[in-house]
Amino acid sequence: MKHIVKIMALLVALSAIWISLLQTSVLPESYTWLLPLYSIVTLGCYGLLMVGVGLMRFPTCPQESLLLQEDIVEAKGFLKEKGVDVGSD
Amino acid sequence: MELADRAIGLLLSVISLSIFTYYTLWVIILPFVDSDHFVHKYFLPHEYAILIPVYAGVVLICFISMFVGYVMLKSKKKKA
Repeated sequence: MKHIVKIMALLVALSAIWISLLQTSVLPESYTWLLPLYSIVTLGCYGLLMVGVGLMRFPTCPQESLLLQEDIVEAKGFLKEKGVDVGSD
Repeated sequence: MELADRAIGLLLSVISLSIFTYYTLWVIILPFVDSDHFVHKYFLPHEYAILIPVYAGVVLICFISMFVGYVMLKSKKKKA
C-alpha cells in the first residue's frame, strides 16, 4: 500500500512540474507539450543502452567453466558408483 | 559464444544511441532551423514525431497484455 502511495506522489509531483512549466512559459509552449513524450523515449533508449553495455561487458570466466566441467564429470562418476541414475551421457 | 553476445550488445547500444540522437534532433533542434535548409529532407514531418512513439507504445502494451492473457489461459487449461 505504501509503495503505491510513493509512486502516485512521484507522478503527481512530475505532473505539477509539467503544468507549472506550461503556465509560466519558461520554455516555448510547443517544447513543453512534447516534454513528457521525449522523457519516455529517452528513458527507453537509456534502458536499451544499459542492456547493450551490460551484454558487452559480461565476464565469462573460462577457467571456472573448465573447473566446473571437471567437477561435473567427477560427481557423475561418484554417483554412478553409488547406484544413482545420473541421466543422459 | 562470447563474441555473439558482444556483437548483439554492440548492436543494441548502436540502435539505442541512433534512436536517441535522431529523436533529439527531430524534436529539439529542427524547429530552430530555417524551413529552407536541406536537412529537413532527412526528417519526416513533425506530426510523426508524436505519432510514432505513441503508436509504438500502444503496440507494446497490446503485445504485453496478449502475452499475459495467453499465459493465464494456458495455465488455466492445464489445471482443468
